[in-house]
Amino acid sequence: MGGYCNSPSSSIDSSCDPDLSTSSIFEQRRDLSTELRLGLSLSSSSLQHKYSHKEKDPLSDWPPIKPLLRSTLEGKAHQSNSETFFVKVYMEGVPIGRKLDLFAHNGYDDLIKSLGHMFRTTITCSHVSQVSLEKSHVLTYEDEEGDWMMVGDVPWELFLSTVKKLKITKVEKC
Amino acid sequence: MDRAFSWVAAFPDEVWEHTFSFLPTDADRNAVALVCRSWHRIERLSRRKIFVGNCYAVEPAAAVRRFPEVRAATIKGKPHFADFNLTITDWGGGAGRWIQSMAKGWPLLEELRLKRMVVSDDCLEIAARSFKNFRVLSLASCEGFSTAGLASVAANCRNLKALDLHENEVEENCINWISHFPESFTSLVTLNIACLDGEMNVSILERLISRCPNLKTLRLNHVTPLEKLVGLLHRAPQLVDLGIGMLIGEGHPGLFSKLESAFAHLKHLKNLSGIWEAGPLYLPAIYSICEGLTALHLCDSSIQTPELSKVVSRCKNLQQLWAMDLIEDDGLIAVASSCKLLRELRIFPSDPHGLAQPVYLTQYGLLAVSSGCVMLESVLYFCRQMTNSALLAIANNCPNLTCFRLCIIEPYTPDYITQEPLDAGFGAIVELCKDLRRLSISGLLTDRVFKTIGASANRLEMLSVAFAGDTDAGLHYILSGCKKLRKLEIRDCPFGDKALLDNADKLEAMRSLWMSSCSVTLGACRLLAKKMPRLNVEVIDENGGGSLESWPDDCHVEKLYIYRTIAGPRTDAPPFVLTV
Repeated sequence: MGGYCNSPSSSIDSSCDPDLSTSSIFEQRRDLSTELRLGLSLSSSSLQHKYSHKEKDPLSDWPPIKPLLRSTLEGKAHQSNSETFFVKVYMEGVPIGRKLDLFAHNGYDDLIKSLGHMFRTTITCSHVSQVSLEKSHVLTYEDEEGDWMMVGDVPWELFLSTVKKLKITKVEKC
Repeated sequence: MDRAFSWVAAFPDEVWEHTFSFLPTDADRNAVALVCRSWHRIERLSRRKIFVGNCYAVEPAAAVRRFPEVRAATIKGKPHFADFNLTITDWGGGAGRWIQSMAKGWPLLEELRLKRMVVSDDCLEIAARSFKNFRVLSLASCEGFSTAGLASVAANCRNLKALDLHENEVEENCINWISHFPESFTSLVTLNIACLDGEMNVSILERLISRCPNLKTLRLNHVTPLEKLVGLLHRAPQLVDLGIGMLIGEGHPGLFSKLESAFAHLKHLKNLSGIWEAGPLYLPAIYSICEGLTALHLCDSSIQTPELSKVVSRCKNLQQLWAMDLIEDDGLIAVASSCKLLRELRIFPSDPHGLAQPVYLTQYGLLAVSSGCVMLESVLYFCRQMTNSALLAIANNCPNLTCFRLCIIEPYTPDYITQEPLDAGFGAIVELCKDLRRLSISGLLTDRVFKTIGASANRLEMLSVAFAGDTDAGLHYILSGCKKLRKLEIRDCPFGDKALLDNADKLEAMRSLWMSSCSVTLGACRLLAKKMPRLNVEVIDENGGGSLESWPDDCHVEKLYIYRTIAGPRTDAPPFVLTV
């Protein structure tokens, strides 16, 4: 089990700004407890040094949570807080594909613009009004039933729920 | 003959049997069996339910022989700390010998519940074929089987009412195992497959649900898109317990009203569980059923406080709440003011290794709930800070606590404000909560807390201790006190030989003792084993292998598991487990 979105992200972003004084209290607490640890009776000090949270890798048996929860949370720790939805994009004739985060775009116009920059070509779809007839590529997508459809016919949200991958094909083929 | 007990013959056996059927606990029935031979005979022939807390405490064949008319059996295997990766793999807990004995001696068995055992597909097949009246199969925290085993259960158990799989590790090798339920099969009442990883064919599931009109509990697995959930819910409006699996979906806006309407049709829903990954915007779809909910388990979900608070404030009849610490103190304050019937609270850590920004869940949250929810009995709380005064207040607010498990994530954490150990706080808990049966302690703790627990925790049955105490005296206080103690599990504490040897008799009055990363030597284990023949003293050493016999007395024992048994040393122990 893990998040259904497998894409890596660059950083763990927090959506709320922590109160500065709270975070410094956390730091303070950790320092004070280190002092206390060293001051306690010698018989237990060897055991306490065995567990020093800062230096070691996280223990696989502490805190006491069940393996299913542990692995789900570890999977999530690699995701950022904001949702992403990366799909593969291929251009006809180019064997190596790219990946694009659809959630980072807010509509078809935005998407076309991004793809145009990514693949250095002009792209059309049924949503964009045909200003010039010299568009060389058209944007298509594979839906959940495996059919290849032209991008732009359905509302953006519906498109997001059915798209599996994108393909940029030459105009003459359509 | 029982001349001294001639009054027994005043009534026919059936009358005594009927009388015994009113005894609520197995302990009562055990006591009855000791009175005289006739009662022993009548009791054993009329015992219908058996609970075996440790599968190695008794030989399976002996148990089956003594109680030939059992219809429901519950058997537990590995120690509790096995849940947290503390035991080794292959330690044991195999269900095979039990299933074989039961298949021979209890052909009319109807219910089987196994916890923390290793169950093979063969076991499942034998069970499915041998028990003609099999009604309930419940496997919790088990491993060793695959969906092929489940397929044989589905195919052979014609009258199965419950298939309850709770947190098992199941190998997926039979994708459509659920299609092995024949078309004529309609008896299902409970289907809990939440722990299965593999994708389920939704249309087969829908057909199964449609033909089982008595289905009350349905806990889905894996990724459930919103549209699919809507379809399933429409086929089972009689559901009482729903697990949504991992609900995903950022679909079109029309889906919200469909989801809302599907939930609104569940007029009998009391339990809702699962992982809500569909985002906060869809959460209001469940508002209509909140008032009827008695249990809400939204663990692993990433819903934040504001949305969670809106949900819980509508759950006026909630008795059980399990949530992530993302609910924060504010969310718990909402719980305290809205959920006046709350009995059980469990809060799990969303960030157990402290890698992300800290979550605002502190002692205040638990304090608020203890103050607002007077019926609170059971607490499991993961947090990062606690104070003695909060614990004292909680104890005063909730003297009826029966289960208190507090895990302060960072070991040795003192009182957050005074920097003192948390002895006084936990002491207050055991002194004021006289019915406390289960306790887990954490944070900075000295021997003093153990003295208080030993003296005051008179009903305590299970105690979990980690990173606590100063000397052996701590363990001695526990073992010499705590009259009703049955299970004790300890890790990373400076407890050693003397306390164990001085309290050897106590160990036979308990079910089991687990100690890891403490200060126990092999010599003490040998002495203990010699002194107490009805204890199995298992020394677990991952590195040593089979050569433990030759090791000197003063060598340190890393993991120790002691349990009482009348079956002698077990024969299925792997090489790194030595029964001394």
